[in-house]
This record gives sequence, C-alpha cells and structure tokens, in this order.
Amino acid sequence: MSTRDNWRNLGFLAGWVVLLLFVPPTFSIYIRSFFMFLMMYVILSLSWNIISGYTGYISFGHVVFYGIGTYATAILVVDYGWHWIMAVAASGLVGAIFAILIGYPVLRLKGPYFAIAMLGAAEGTRVIAINWVSLTHGADGIAYPNIENSFETYIAMLVLMVIAVIVAYWVGHSRFGIRLNAIREDEIAAESLGVNTTFYKMAALVLSAIFPAMAGGIQGYKTLYIEPESEFFILITIYMKLFAMFGGKGTVIGPVLGAFILYSVQEYTWIRFPTAHLITFGIFIILVARFMPRGLIGFAVDRGWARKGMVH
Amino acid sequence: MLAGFLVIAYSLPFAIGIYTENVFFDRQWLADLATVVLNGVMQGGVYAMFAVGLTMIFGVMRIINVAHGEMVMLGAYLSWMSFFWLGFDPLLAMVFTLPIAFGLGWMIQKFLLNAVVGGPELTPLLMTFGLGLAMIYAVEAVFTTDFKSIPYAPDSFQLTETIVVGKSRLISFVMALVISVGVFMFLKKHRIGKAIRATSQNADVAMVCGINIYGIYMVTSGISAALAVAGGVLVSIQFGFNPETGIIYTLQAFAIIVLGGRGHYIGAMIGGVMLAVMESLISFMLPNGTALVEIAAYGLMIFVLLIRPRGLMGPKTD
Amino acid sequence: MAETNEIALQVKDLKKHFGGIKAVDGCSFDLPKGKISGLIGPNGSGKTTIFNLMTGVLGADSGEVVYRGENIVNLRPYQVFNKGISRTFQITRIYREMTVFENMLSASSMRVPESEAREQAEKLMEFVTLTPLRGEYGGNLSYGQQKLLEFARALMTDPEIILLDEPAAGVNRTLLQNLLAHIHHLQEEEGKTILIIEHDMNVIMNHCEKIFVMDYGVKIAEGLPDEIQNNEYVIEAYFGHK
Ligand SMILES: Nc1ncnc2c1ncn2[C@@H]1O[C@H](COP(=O)(O)OP(=O)(O)OP(=O)(O)O)[C@@H](O)[C@H]1O
Ligand SMILES: [Mg+2]
Repeated sequence: MSTRDNWRNLGFLAGWVVLLLFVPPTFSIYIRSFFMFLMMYVILSLSWNIISGYTGYISFGHVVFYGIGTYATAILVVDYGWHWIMAVAASGLVGAIFAILIGYPVLRLKGPYFAIAMLGAAEGTRVIAINWVSLTHGADGIAYPNIENSFETYIAMLVLMVIAVIVAYWVGHSRFGIRLNAIREDEIAAESLGVNTTFYKMAALVLSAIFPAMAGGIQGYKTLYIEPESEFFILITIYMKLFAMFGGKGTVIGPVLGAFILYSVQEYTWIRFPTAHLITFGIFIILVARFMPRGLIGFAVDRGWARKGMVH
Repeated sequence: MLAGFLVIAYSLPFAIGIYTENVFFDRQWLADLATVVLNGVMQGGVYAMFAVGLTMIFGVMRIINVAHGEMVMLGAYLSWMSFFWLGFDPLLAMVFTLPIAFGLGWMIQKFLLNAVVGGPELTPLLMTFGLGLAMIYAVEAVFTTDFKSIPYAPDSFQLTETIVVGKSRLISFVMALVISVGVFMFLKKHRIGKAIRATSQNADVAMVCGINIYGIYMVTSGISAALAVAGGVLVSIQFGFNPETGIIYTLQAFAIIVLGGRGHYIGAMIGGVMLAVMESLISFMLPNGTALVEIAAYGLMIFVLLIRPRGLMGPKTD
Repeated sequence: MAETNEIALQVKDLKKHFGGIKAVDGCSFDLPKGKISGLIGPNGSGKTTIFNLMTGVLGADSGEVVYRGENIVNLRPYQVFNKGISRTFQITRIYREMTVFENMLSASSMRVPESEAREQAEKLMEFVTLTPLRGEYGGNLSYGQQKLLEFARALMTDPEIILLDEPAAGVNRTLLQNLLAHIHHLQEEEGKTILIIEHDMNVIMNHCEKIFVMDYGVKIAEGLPDEIQNNEYVIEAYFGHK
C-alpha cells in the first residue's frame, strides 16, 4: 500500500466522518440511535475480525468483552461517581486486562477448542455477573440516572469508531497484521520464521477486546439500564461474527460493509418479524460459512475486482 | 497432573462450603451429601448418554457439532408436545420421537455436513452454530421463551431412612443406561456399528474396504441426534426448559467429551458422571449454589483442556 | 571463501523419543562453517526430527545444540530463528491464503524498517524468479514454486545457517538446477552455512562438501562424498546385509 493510497483512504474516512457528524444528528432520536448502534456494530465486527479474521482464532464468546465493558462503565459511574467518559476509557483498560487473564489459558487452545472455550468464558462470566451481587447488583441490573444523552453518546461512538477503523486499517496494512495472518495460516511455520506467536496472539486478543469493552460502556450509558442477560447476550457475538464473515473476514472494509448492510437489514426485519429474522440469521450463517467463507470481499477478489492480499 | 487437578477441583466446593459455613459433617448432613452424590451419578448417566452422541460425531467425522445441545432442547419439546398435545407418556413416545430425531440427524448430515467433512475444521463449526441458532428461534417462534416443564412422577423413593431419590430421576437413569448399553451393543455387534467404528479408526481405509462412508456419516448423525433427543426427553421429565437452554447442554456435552477424551465412549460415560457429581456438589455446598452449577462445565472444560488436552482416556495424538 | 575448519554449530548427544520410537537416539555432529553439508539416511532415520530439535519446533529429551557458545535446544522456534538459523520444511509450509509477497514479508525481522524489508523481499523474489507471481496466493503456486518460495522466505533475515529439508523433492530438473545454483551462490558469495537433508544422491554427492549419515536416530558415518560412497555401514544401512 503506497502512501498515496493511505491518504486517499484517510480522505475517504474523513468524508464519512463529516457525513456521520452532521447528517444523522439532525434527524430524530430514533435515527440517531440507529446510527449509533450501527457504528457500534462496525466497532464490534472490526474487533472480532482482529482475533478471528486476521489471526484465525474464531471466538464464539466475544460478547464477554463487551459485557465486561458495560459493567465496568456502569459500576464506575453509578457506584463510584466517575464521569462517564473517564469510565468508558477505564473500561477499555479493564477489557484489556480481562483479555490478558483469559487469553493466557484459552489462546493455548486451537480451532474449535478455542471457539468453545470462549463461549464457555462468556457464559461463565454471565453467570458470575448474575451472582456476584455486591459488585454487579446481580440480576436486578444497574440503572443510570435518567437523562437524555443521545447526542453525546452518538459523538462518543463516532470517535471510538474512527479510532477502531484506524487501528484496524493499521493492522490490516502492516507487518503486524501480516504476522497475525501467518499465525492463522500455519502457526508452526510462523513460529519457526520468527513470529513470537504467544505475544502476537495476545496482542491481537487485547486489541480485539479494548474496543468492544469501550463500545459496551457507551452503549450502557446510552441505554441507561444494564442487566446480565442482555449485556452478555450471545446474539451480540453472533452479530459480530456474522457481519464480519459476511463482509469478508481478514479485511478492513469487509466487517464495515457487513455491519452496514446486515445491521440495516436486521433493523428493518426485526421490527416486522422478530423471531423469523433470527431464524433467517441462523440459516444465513450456514450459507455464508458453506458458500462464501471469504465473504463479499472474497467474492470480489475471486472475480478480479479487488487485489489479493492486504499488503501490496 | 490431571489427578491432582481433579482432587483440587472436587475439594473446592467442600472448601467453599466450609468457609461459608454450609458444611456441618453431622449425620444429617452426611446423609444429604450421600443423596446429592447419588443423584449426581444418576444425572450423570443422562449427561453421558447425550455426550456420547457428540463424541460419536467427533470420532467419525472430526466435526464438533455445536447444535447438539439444541437437539437436546428439541427433544425436550418433542417430549412436551407428545405429553400435552397427544397425551402420550414421554417415555413411551420415544417410540416415535427417536425415529423422528434419527431422520432429522440424517437429513442434517445429508444436506449440510456431508459436503464439509474433511475440509477446514471451522466451517462445520460455524455451520452447526448457525443451525443451532435457527433451531432455537424456530422453537421460540412456536413456544415463546417461557419455561416449560412436564409433571412426571414427582414423588420420590426412600432408599434408606435418610437417602431419597426422585422417581423421575431414577427412571431417567435407568432409561439412559438401557439406551447407552443398546448403542454400545449396536456398535460392537451390528454390521453397521462395526462399520462406524472402522470409519472412526480410519476413514480412508474404511472407504477402500468398500464401506460407503457417507452412508456411515448419515447413520452416525442420525444416532447422535436420537441420543440427544433421548437426553432431552429424560431432561424434560425432571427439569424446566426453554429454547435457550440448549447452549448449556452443548457446553455440558462438550465439557464431558473433553474430560473423557474426544471420540472415546467409555470416557464420555465417566466424564458425564464426573460433571454431574461436580454440579451437585456445587449446588449443595455453595451459597446460592443452584445458580452457579453452570460454572462446573466451563471450569472443568477449560482446565482439562489446558492440563491434559486429550482428557482422561483420549488417544495421545489426534 | 578461504578454507577454514571453523564450526558453525555443534549437535551434542541429542535424544528424542516418541513413546517407544527412538527417533533421535544420541546423535552428535559438528556443522562446518561456511560450507554446504548433507544429512542423509533411510526414511524414518530421524533427519527431520534433528531439524525440529535444532530449531526448537520439538523439545529434546536430552542433549545440546551449541551455537555461538550457547545451548539453543529448548528455545522457542522464533528465538532460534532470530539468532540466525532459518529453515524450510519437508512438506512445504507456505501460507496458502497470503500472497507470495506477504509470505516473504511475514518473515522479515521487525528490527529492520519496513521499506528495507520490502526491498529485501523484492530482491529475493527476483532471485527465485517469483516476481511475476508476487500478488498470487501461495496456495495457487505449483509445488515446485512453493518450494522456491519457502526457500526464499527462509532467507528474508539474512540468516547465518540455513537448514533445508529435502529441497529437491518434487522440483523439476531446471528448477532444481536453479535452486542449487542459488545455494552455491549463498555459500560462495555470502559465506552461509548450509545443511541439506536429501534423498537425491546426485544432489548430495555433487554439491555437499561434508556428509553426515544417520540410521535409527544415530550418526553412523561422516566424511567427504567419496568416503561416504564407499563406507560399508552406509551401504548396509541403505541396502541391508549383502
Ligand atoms: N511428532 C512425532 N510423533 C511421533 N513420532 C514421530 C514424530 N515425528 C517423527 N516421528 C517418528 O520418528 C521417526 C523419525 O522420523 P523423521 O521424520 O525424523 O524421519 P526422517 O529421517 O526425516 O525420514 P524421511 O526421510 O522419511 O523424511 C519416525 O519413525 C517417525 O514416525
Ligand atoms: Mg524427513
């Protein structure tokens, strides 16, 4: 990727930021929060993509970082009186530390074992969140003081998304990302050719945990009420995974595209067919995994519309 | 290493129980403990049975079917439907629920999984994940997320003066034993059962020997689904369930086969009993323990994967 | 290069058993510096296992590999690589869903700036005539091209010792001549130490200065090509009793 390409892509991003900054906030609160959640899923899919798309460690429990983040923010704001922005920033740190703690055991597992261990980690954390009442308020959840904050949270999410996109872009166009790819392709070869796989996998997991934790924090503050079942909801993992896979895992634009398209689709369908749309999503995962494992971007690459690889 | 870990793991509930003063060591408490362990062992029989279904698929196709728990959940609903809609005894209804399950497993294999056996291992993982999701919400569309249960043999047996066993649990245990032994006999004696074992030893050799391995895959999936549904039926007469409980069964079954050793049937039986006993110990001795039983599966699974990835009885290499 | 008798690396009484299989069972040899050496032996004699032990892919049961005065056995593979020992694999392990160029870049040292790494990658791709395929997925290359890619990738960090596991297997004659020319170039012009595992005796006898022979996990002979050709133990190991 030449410097010129980098500047062009940065310009592209800036254009989107200007659009997102000025257009949706002028509409209703509903439109504003729709775009806020859309941006949140862009962040989540890009994050999942770092560990699962680039590094090949498919996580079935990524919601755990998001859930931890919503809780960290809510506890710091409601119980300790922090400013919400400080709390969201701290949640990123909490997410990172949590990633290191669970990464140490689970990153030694491969393939399906990693996937299911992450699922177990997420479910286990949910159970703990329900039962550790003194910290999390248990199943009752935590309520924020009731205020209208859709504009601040929208801007916060936009800023976080811009950072997440830039980080994802850097990962996707650097030797760091290439080394993650090498781990995905063949861990023994990567290790034999100079990649400290333990370190790189951990770095990937931490990066992919920070942003969901912070996004979760903002989301909780915006929603004003959190409780374990909805913050550790497995469907959130499914969305990240599906959006990234549909767009094309292991690319930067793929997860963004996937989140844009599918989140809009789900917003449209789920009001009309609340259960049917989830059944459809299940079937959709099957079809994508079977027939389009490299997503829309892979489809474009196969037809020669886009170049192979991420560094040229 | 593993033995040491297991000793620590099983003493942990006792330690916490003592710390939180839930443990007394008097006569009554010991009798309760015996009851709890006995119930755990019986529950373990049921777990083991549906875990054998998961381990069979893994053994034969190297696929981890994450929709297995959803199949258990579906079994519970089949049982509920036959009880409330058709007025059948859930156990008797197995005469037709199990063949239905077999057919379902057969078709899933034929139309979804046959194409991806032997390919990248994450493809079937994602596909069965999608399948599980579709199953959850298909059931939810009909039955909502409300918890359902079946009032079945609610009374209990007084074994001794102090040890009590729920009748439905005892019946489930016996049924699970009968079905498991049946499946073992089938695998040992029947021509198709032998072919299944040959395929899990070495699919290529099996194919060369004239075994139609895709046929074997379909039979295996069918049996696996039937075992899951049987598990669901036996769960349904003891506990409440809703469409989302499937994921717990998947994790339990997975924890069991990790514990016992992947692809290993006897290992799965032992793993099932070990998990269930652990769960009963947790619910008995920890404050608010019933809410924490799920932790047993995740905890055992993660630590066994780390300490001894091949489990108790698994082969040295994959 | 001046004739020297310096030693690049010493293998000392290395042992590795897999259950009952004694894959490497007390093997020792000194790898001469700045020369091309060969490691031969019947199938299953433990050659690849020696490479795996030298590069940290496997941990040893006992024994040492001494490099620059330091025992490198049981280091992690990336540490061995970063010390300047690079390798290829018997069955190629190129990254299939990464382009040729990305394969190359993945093996660059993070200590050199990216621009320099890119130049090095371009140079090496040119060297093994893969430049026209630089944007193609590794998995789409022919087997021989994959061998070349793996060879070039192993040179990205300018290693001092290069271990090649059956570089000739599956490579056609023209490509093989190219490859051998490259190997000679590395030794003569850049003073690299090279150790080749190979079943193709033409390659071994015509291109190696020193040969080590293994059988059942131990070294049974070492010497110059013509010494080895006439060594009775070697003949016995390969052809059984006469
Ligand atoms: N990871 C392993 N686990 C178990 N056994 C192994 C392993 N690696 C090698 N072996 C065994 O060790 C012995 C030596 O194997 P090795 O690959 O070193 O032989 P080799 O000399 O390279 O043979 P070839 O010329 O066929 O490549 C063989 O019997 C092999 O089966
Ligand atoms: Mg070999």
